[in-house]
Formats: sequence, C-alpha cells, structure tokens
Amino acid sequence: MQIKLNKEIDSRISAESSSASAKESVKELERAMQRSSENSEREKKALQKELSYMKDDSKLSISKLNAELERMSLRAQNSEKEAKMLNEQLEDLKKQLNECLREKNETELRLLDSAPLSVQRNPTDDQKLIKLLQEELRNYEKEVHEARRLKSSHTNVELLSEKLLEEQSRRKRAETELSKLQEIEAKAQKLELELASCTSLLGNIPDVSSYSNIADLQRQALTDLNKLGEVTSRLKELEVTLEFAEISKQRAEGEATLAKERAESASREVKRLELLLTAVSEERDRLRKDHNMLSNQKTRDGDDMSSKKMESDLSQMEKVVRELETTLHEQRELISQQHAELNLMNEKLSIEARKAKSLEREGDQLRSQVALLESKLGHGDYSASSTKVLRMVNTLAMDSEAKQTIEALQAELKKTKERLQAIEELKGQADAGTVVDANVAEKLAQLKNQVATLEKREERYKAVFLERISVFRKACCSLFGYQIVMNDEQQPNGIHVTRFTLQSVYAQTDDEKLEFLYESGSTNIVVNGYTSQHEIAQQVDIFIRKMNSIPAFTANLTMESFNKRSIC
Amino acid sequence: MASRTASKDIITLKGSAAIVSEFFGYAANSILYNRGVYPEESFGKVKKYGLPMLLTQDKAVKTFLTNLTSQLSEWLEGGKLQRIVLVIMSKATGEVLERWNFNIITDGEVVEKGAVKEKSDKEIMREIQAIMRQVNSCISFLPCLDEPCIFDVLAYTDSDTTVPFTWMESDAKLIENPQMVKLHSFDTKIHKVDTLVSYKVDDLDEQ
Repeated sequence: MQIKLNKEIDSRISAESSSASAKESVKELERAMQRSSENSEREKKALQKELSYMKDDSKLSISKLNAELERMSLRAQNSEKEAKMLNEQLEDLKKQLNECLREKNETELRLLDSAPLSVQRNPTDDQKLIKLLQEELRNYEKEVHEARRLKSSHTNVELLSEKLLEEQSRRKRAETELSKLQEIEAKAQKLELELASCTSLLGNIPDVSSYSNIADLQRQALTDLNKLGEVTSRLKELEVTLEFAEISKQRAEGEATLAKERAESASREVKRLELLLTAVSEERDRLRKDHNMLSNQKTRDGDDMSSKKMESDLSQMEKVVRELETTLHEQRELISQQHAELNLMNEKLSIEARKAKSLEREGDQLRSQVALLESKLGHGDYSASSTKVLRMVNTLAMDSEAKQTIEALQAELKKTKERLQAIEELKGQADAGTVVDANVAEKLAQLKNQVATLEKREERYKAVFLERISVFRKACCSLFGYQIVMNDEQQPNGIHVTRFTLQSVYAQTDDEKLEFLYESGSTNIVVNGYTSQHEIAQQVDIFIRKMNSIPAFTANLTMESFNKRSIC
Repeated sequence: MASRTASKDIITLKGSAAIVSEFFGYAANSILYNRGVYPEESFGKVKKYGLPMLLTQDKAVKTFLTNLTSQLSEWLEGGKLQRIVLVIMSKATGEVLERWNFNIITDGEVVEKGAVKEKSDKEIMREIQAIMRQVNSCISFLPCLDEPCIFDVLAYTDSDTTVPFTWMESDAKLIENPQMVKLHSFDTKIHKVDTLVSYKVDDLDEQ
C-alpha cells in the first residue's frame, strides 16, 4: 500500500512537473508569439511610414514639377509680353528711323538746293547749321543703334520662347515615355513569367537538350501545324459532304415513312371497305331471301306494291354494292401504287447510302492525291506538255565569268603592251648605238662559231661517207660480182621502197640487169626483160620461189655468166 | 490600281501583277540576305509591308532583279506564269542546295474577260507581311551554307509562251530527296501565291 502510495505520489509529482514545464513552454511560446506579432506590427508600421514617405516624396516631386511648370509658363508668358512690348517699341523706332531718314533726305535736298544761295549767307550761320545737322545725324545714328539692339534682344526673346516650347514638348515626351516605360516593365515581367513557365514546360518535354533541338521542334511544329490545317480543312469538306448525304438520307427515310403510313391507312381503308362490302353483301342476301319469301307470299297473297318496293330496294343495294366494289378496286390500286413508291424510296435510300460511301472513298483518294501533288510540287516536277522552264541568259555567274575573262585579257594586254614598250626601247637604244649589250653580242658570236664548226663537220662527214661508200661499193662489186645501184622510190600506194639494180661484171650486154625491191626487211625480185628470159626465169623459179634464196640465185647466175665468158 | 469602297479595294489584273512581281523582288532580296549569298554590308534598309526590308545595293544584282521582275509582271498580266523558283547553288560544284518555290494560281476569268476583283489592300499587305516574317525565321531550321553560293531564278511558264531573247530554256534544277517546308500564302483574288522551301538535307542532320 505504501509502495503504491509512493508510486502515486511520484507520478503525481512528475505530472505536476510536466504540467509546469508545459505551462512554461506555453508561456514562452506566448511570449514568442507576442514578440513576433510586435515585430510584424513594427515592420508594418515601418513599411507604412516608408509608403507614406514615398507618397509624400512623390507628391512633393509632383508639386515641384507643377510649380516649375507654372514658373516656366509664367516666364514664358512674361517673355511673350516683353517680346510683344519690344516688338511694339521696335516698330515705333522703325517708324521714327524712317521719319528721320526721310527728314535727313529732305534736309540734304534742301542743303543741295540752298548751296548756291549759301554763298550770300554768313559763313558762321552755315557752320552752325552744319553742326546742328551733324548733331541730329549723331542722334539718329544712336537711335538706330538702340533700335538694332532692341531688335537683337527681341530675336533673343523669340529664341528663348522657342527653347521653352521645345523644353515643354520634351517634358511631355519624357512623361509619356515614363508611362510607356512602366507599361513596358509590366509587360517584361509578364514575359519573364511566361518564359519561366515555358522553360519549366521545356524541362518537362523529353529529349529537348539544346537550341538546335528546339529549332527542330519548331520546324516540326510548323510542318505539323500546316499538315494539321490541311487535314482539318479536308475533314471539314468531308464532314460537309457527309452531312449532305445524311440529310438526303433522312429526307428519303422520312418520305419512306410517310409512304408507309399512307399505305397503312390505305390498307385500313381497304379493310374497312371490305367489311362494309361483306356487310352490304350479307344485307343483300338477306334482302334477296326476304324478297323471295315475299314473292312467294305475293304469289300466295297477290300484293304487287310491296314486291316492287323490295325490288327497288334491292336494285339500290346492288348499286351501292357496285359503287363499293369500284371504290375498293380503286383503293387496291392506290395501295399497289404506294407499295411501288415505297420500293422506289427504299431503292433511293440504298443509292444515297452507296453515294455517301463512294464520296468517302473519293475523299480519301483525293487526300492522297493532294499529298502526292504537294510533294511533287515541292520537289519541282512539272508536265513538259503544258509547262516550260526558263531562265535569264545573262545571269550574274556568266557576267562575272565574262568580267573575269575580260579582266584576264586586259591584264594580258597590259603585259604585252609593257613588253612591246620595253622592246621598242631596246630597239631605240640599239638604233641610237649609244648602249651595246656585250653579253648579247658575245652570245651571238659564240652561236655563229658553233654553227660554222657544225657545218664544217657536216661537210667533212659527207665527204668521208662518200669516200667510204664508194670503197664499199667497189668492194661489193669485186667480191660478189655485181654492180649495185640503190634508188628510193614511192609506190602508187604511197609506200617508200628501195630499188636495187644489179648488173653482173660478167654481163655481156647492158640489158642484163636484175632488179630487186627492198621494203621493210623483205626483198623481192622485179620481173623485167632479162629475168623473163627462159633460162633466167627457170633459175628464178628454182632458187627464189622454191628455195627462197636470192644469194643462191645471184651466185648461180654469176657462175653461169663466168662460165659463158670463159667458154667464149 | 485600287480605289476605295467601304472596306475593300478594287484590284485589276495589272495591279495584281505588280503586287506579285514586287513581292517576289523583296522576297528574293530577303532570301539573299538571310542565306548569306551576298555580304551583309552590300544591303541597305528600307521600309516595306510595315517591316524593315533589306535591299541589295550591288548594281549588277539590282539590274538583274529589276529586269527579271519586269518580265515576270508581263507574264503575270498575260496569265502565262505558273511558278517562280529561286535556286541557291554551290559556286564551286554547281550543286543545288535550296529551292524557294513560289507557286502562282491565276484566275482565268480575269485574264480572259478583264474582270476586276475586290479585296482590301491592307489584308493583302498583312498576308505578305506574314510570309516575309516566315522567310526571316526560316534560318532557324535551314542548314548553314558554309560555302560560297550563287543564285538563279527559274520561271515555269505555259508551253506556248514566246521566249524573250534574254531568256532561254533550262532544266528544273531539282534536289534529290529534299526536305520541304510549306510557308504561308497570299491571295489578291486574281493571283494566289503559295510559298514553299525545299532544301538538301545536311549530312550531319542525316547522321
């Protein structure tokens, strides 16, 4: 019990302490709140004071500006009044000046007129008059000076007034621009906010990392917008056509329902008439039966009047029945017509539906064609049958090329002209004989010497060759027994050949000559009078044609000629 | 050319031809400036269509464009002109890099019967202004022309058009597999002009 009591006491103490601490914390919080509220109130007051100061300042500045404006306007008014007064004074002075000048002219005229008379007057009076006139002149000059000074001051005043007006206009412009500036600042703030929102949006858009991407996006957006516009326009066209088709469809359906209703009403009418007809026919049958009964009774009773009545009633009934039959027939015809109309309407409906579908298909085809044509147009394709492509002949490229060639040609012309001038100068110098180019003369002499030596060498070579060739020919003749003469010829086909004419040393006549043609390594015998002789021809045939050996032929011929000579 | 009615102005065939040919002249100058075909310092600023426009001061280019626009105006009055194409080519290789395509649709009734149409001048100017702004903004996506370039102008005319002695027939100077961007169009009610730029895809872009 005691432990529990102690525990309870402890708990109570702890609770009391916690409550005290809580109270303290609450108090502290309350103090802090009070402090913060006081601070906020102080700040508010300070801000309000500042605001009031700003307002007062602005009011002061406005009032100052107004006061300055009033001062400037008063100054302007005063200056205007002064200017007016000065103008008036100037005008008065001008008038006075004109009067003075006029008087001066008059006095001068008088002086001139009175010049011959003045000889009779007293010279002292003249001097006095002259002095007076001089003084008057001086006074007039002074007045003229003053008038000019006033005029200059007047112009200054006018300038000042103009400057004032300019300053006033500048002030007004500054005020308007200030107001504009405020508007612009507000717009700039709005734009900054929009820019921030746009950048935040861009951050949300995936794959946008650089300005080039944004440019691509812009370009894509432009193209997409254009495509969207086109697609919406086409969609609208299609919607319009679809609406027309639907309206016509609805009209057809309405007409079909009306026709159905008419048909139903006609069929009801027909039924009603059929019922009426059946009723009337039953009535007729009944009346016939009555008539028969009556006629039977009549034969029994012999009453003509009642039977006539019955017959007339019967005939009337029959007429009514016929009329009803005709109306029934007409109604049936009407119904059939309306059925036919209904069928027509249904057919029209189906046709309209088919038309609407075909229109949709055509719209799709047209869209695809339009896209194709637009792509072709953008590519630059055209139909050669209806279009031709032209361009200007003297394009700038050609002009520039022509200019370049002209410039190049002009440069070459200049160079050639300079060379020509230099050559002419050299010529002139050479003709005058004042300056001789030693190097050129030496070179000329050297070249001439070389030419002379070469010519001598050539002659020597020729002489040596002639000697050697004659020795060679003689040796060939003595060794092989034939004198050889070599000539160059040109055949009719243009080929150059060498003709060798051989005469044996043992030949008995001058006609015994062998002729060979040498052309590019091949030697062929030429048939002549000597070789066409039987013996020679045989040898030619054996040695040259069969054995293909000219040396054997010539050797054999030499031997035979030698044998003939020796025998003889 | 235009006389005032309530809010629309009367447009004649001659007036419309003048508007279109003048537009092409200014558009050509803008393109040459923006694409750097000629140096910037060779252009001077003027005010047109409510915008600061740049016109070349090079005499040769000026006379070329003047002669060209006068001929285009003549063809437009005759209803013979179908398309104008400004072609930008490499100076070294002659390869076509860009084609600025101005497609023209002419009202045949006006050409045949000499009818007049009504449209506000201001609206036409606004439409042209929009195209000029788009031309200026195209540099943001067109590939850079790093090499020296030259330009030429092709006129697509009817096949029965007589060729003036200062003109000659030419090939269409097409680009293989181009990229195309369609720009705005303007309409004088007599001539409708659609603008489109097709360009050779940059090798770097392809990669």
